[in-house]
Amino acid sequence: MDTSSVARDPSLPHAPRATRGRVALVIGSGSVKCAAALGAYRALQREGIDVDMVVGCSAGSLFASVMALGYDPETCARMASGLWTKDLTSQPDRRALLRAAFPRLFGFDAHWGLRNDARIMRRMEETYGDRTFADARIPLFITATDFHTGEQVVLRSGRLVDAIRASIAIPFAFRPHEVDGRLLIDGFMSDPLPVGVAIREGANVIVAIGFESPYQSRVTSAGRFAFQLSSIMTNNLLKASFAFHGLAHHSEVIAVIPRFEQRIRLFDTAKMPYIIDEGERAMTEQVPYLRRLLAAVPAA
Amino acid sequence: MEITIDQRAHVTVVAVAGSIDALTADALVRAMGEQMHAGNTRLVAAFDGVEYTSSAGLRVLLATLKEARQRGGDLRLAAVQERVLRVLDLSGFTSILKCYPDVGAAVASFPSHHS
Repeated sequence: MDTSSVARDPSLPHAPRATRGRVALVIGSGSVKCAAALGAYRALQREGIDVDMVVGCSAGSLFASVMALGYDPETCARMASGLWTKDLTSQPDRRALLRAAFPRLFGFDAHWGLRNDARIMRRMEETYGDRTFADARIPLFITATDFHTGEQVVLRSGRLVDAIRASIAIPFAFRPHEVDGRLLIDGFMSDPLPVGVAIREGANVIVAIGFESPYQSRVTSAGRFAFQLSSIMTNNLLKASFAFHGLAHHSEVIAVIPRFEQRIRLFDTAKMPYIIDEGERAMTEQVPYLRRLLAAVPAA
Repeated sequence: MEITIDQRAHVTVVAVAGSIDALTADALVRAMGEQMHAGNTRLVAAFDGVEYTSSAGLRVLLATLKEARQRGGDLRLAAVQERVLRVLDLSGFTSILKCYPDVGAAVASFPSHHS
């Protein structure tokens, strides 16, 4: 695969629109819950509040990308609901099981995941094609994690498909994805809600949409066991990182935390309209303050 | 944002109503600072009237908390609404701040001068 066009050099120029450093929308990891960001985006558009940069992590990168490409919220929702469906993880990679069970016989390396990623790659190719970060109307940043060093990697140029695929490389489920010679895994492993990227890129007001990873009600398989461990680590990392960035930022981080009365599973795509509505509701609650704040905060 | 100060024996109750955010944080910083400079370092922030707190609000809480503790006192929260509690929890503040269900419990949590 040719990934040479995907760079991580922070000095590189990014998308066409200049960053004025005002409002950033940061969408953290959270599987289908990330659709709440579309509701938040709808509320901001309705109120005429411009978003100057979008940062996406893990499934949040799917939604961040469609927003940044300039689609209206309804189109974004249609595109995203076609992308993120349960059958994405329904194709086991049987060879991966054999490689795990008999590593000497079948060979084992870091390019390992239990699920075949052909379907999600095909879906993403259909949705994003060859579009790159340069096609984004709003500066877009997608985060992943370097598999070998654990560092956060901010992708800002190159093909969107590659950046998103790296950002959603859920440990154990999908193979890490190589971008620009670096092996990358899911962005949530380094920061589930990458507010720091928006701070570094000069945002003043940061709207952060984050979600805690759900805990298992019953641990009945090795997969659920691994998922539970992942949730424990991720949620503690989320709190530590969000606390640090909230205290370190010179201006304002507005946490938009939708309230979901309904239980939402990882691939409850059918609940996307409900999730979007809750995101819109949570954002709408913050709009009066956001308006007053934007009137008071000088443009960078 | 409205701030009301109520002295209860050895504890100062600072009742806050409204939002604690970048636009209102300075008023709370001043109110808390005035209390501490007057020697009132055992503080209870009554949050039943707080609808929202942002990162700027959290920075005020942290600054007050550190100064109160440096002066031998403490800042404790009472009656935090669910919505605000979620922000405090997400930001790790519930691990460093003591929260109580009501003002009475928060006030009672401070030992008396003579104990």
